[in-house]
Amino acid sequence: MAAKERKLTVARAMAEAMSQEMRADEQVFVMGEDVGPLGGVFGNTRGLYEEFGKERVRDTPISETAFMGAAVGAAADGMRPIVELMFVDFFGVCFDAIYNLMAKNTYFSGGNINVPAVIMTSTGGGYSDGGQHSQCLYGTFAHLPGMKVVVPSNAFDAKGMLTAAIRDNSPVIYMFHKGLQGMGWLGTEAGATVNVPEEQYTVEIGKAATVSEGHDVTIVSLGMGVHHSLRAAALLQEKGVSAEVVDLRALVPLDRDHIFESVKKTGRLVVVDEDYQSYGVSGEVIASVVERDISILKAAPQRVAYPDIPIPFAHHMEQWALPNAEKIVSACLEVTHSDG
Amino acid sequence: MTDETAQAVRIPVDLWEEDVEAVITTWFVSGEAEVDQGDLLAEVMAEKIQFEIVAPASGILNIMVQQDELVEKGDTIATITVSSN
Repeated sequence: MAAKERKLTVARAMAEAMSQEMRADEQVFVMGEDVGPLGGVFGNTRGLYEEFGKERVRDTPISETAFMGAAVGAAADGMRPIVELMFVDFFGVCFDAIYNLMAKNTYFSGGNINVPAVIMTSTGGGYSDGGQHSQCLYGTFAHLPGMKVVVPSNAFDAKGMLTAAIRDNSPVIYMFHKGLQGMGWLGTEAGATVNVPEEQYTVEIGKAATVSEGHDVTIVSLGMGVHHSLRAAALLQEKGVSAEVVDLRALVPLDRDHIFESVKKTGRLVVVDEDYQSYGVSGEVIASVVERDISILKAAPQRVAYPDIPIPFAHHMEQWALPNAEKIVSACLEVTHSDG
Repeated sequence: MTDETAQAVRIPVDLWEEDVEAVITTWFVSGEAEVDQGDLLAEVMAEKIQFEIVAPASGILNIMVQQDELVEKGDTIATITVSSN
């Protein structure tokens, strides 16, 4: 008989990672808006308050400026805070603490002070929540040195990468897409709810994964985009095009070798990113290939990214702007036909 | 000789107070999977609050209402085939 299933949503996988690390290490604590009795607006801290109490699962006032600064101080003083920035869009009021203090203090102190903080923050749209609750901003955080940046696409990676992030002595930005959480009102991507071991494990930060193998074109994506890409790969298969899908999993460190090796095999590259197109992740992924060896390419790389506009509230306008499987199929057909 | 009986997996009529529809947000097990009594089977969301549905018996699950479909209190969303031999 097959082993019994143990599927978890990303939200439950995150809560399990935190609770297990909190049992193992009393320096770990959670802080943020509505992370306590409510269990987090995205469900990812459910059960923690009941088990660990208000000292270790701390509801904060609505002042990211204050609690992000407090987290940096606690981390520098030897604790291991996990702080929730409820929507990544709110980073503006606490960015000094993040990129001038958290990201740099290890360097400024000559390596004498670690800042082992985890900032978990929600990304992404698709459910008409407006332009200040729907952004990804992956590139904004990945651009700034001194922080690791991870973006899980499923519950297995969500647990393993959060465990790795909590144990990491560097600050880690843990960016989870709302549509992968298993919360119905945010739209639910069924492919993110996968089997998860109950015991603790880590997923190494900085290793990409090939989630579907192919030989005609490489689709590189992250987070929700991985699921759009897998749907696109299935549609392309019907058209006789074999697409390989690479899940970046981490933006810092970026697994450039993995990207390069896949594109070397297929000769073609399409990058799918729900963050804004210009000056961001998609350009960096393409640079990872063309800087190393342009001769492996059989066609110019293509991008399916968010257009450079503030995110619309209106349903039809937002859906028009988002990446989807159909856009990825079109881009892949363009690169696979352009050499023939 | 094996006797099989099917037990309904129902949404309790008192799971939430308001008279509103809900949606199945997650099935944690696949159809035809073996489940044990008390296992978490599904999450159902009403008015942005999620509720857990657990297995009322041990046996083989047969899902009748899929993820993202609407449900009401009292609905049968699956059956569990219980064998006693």
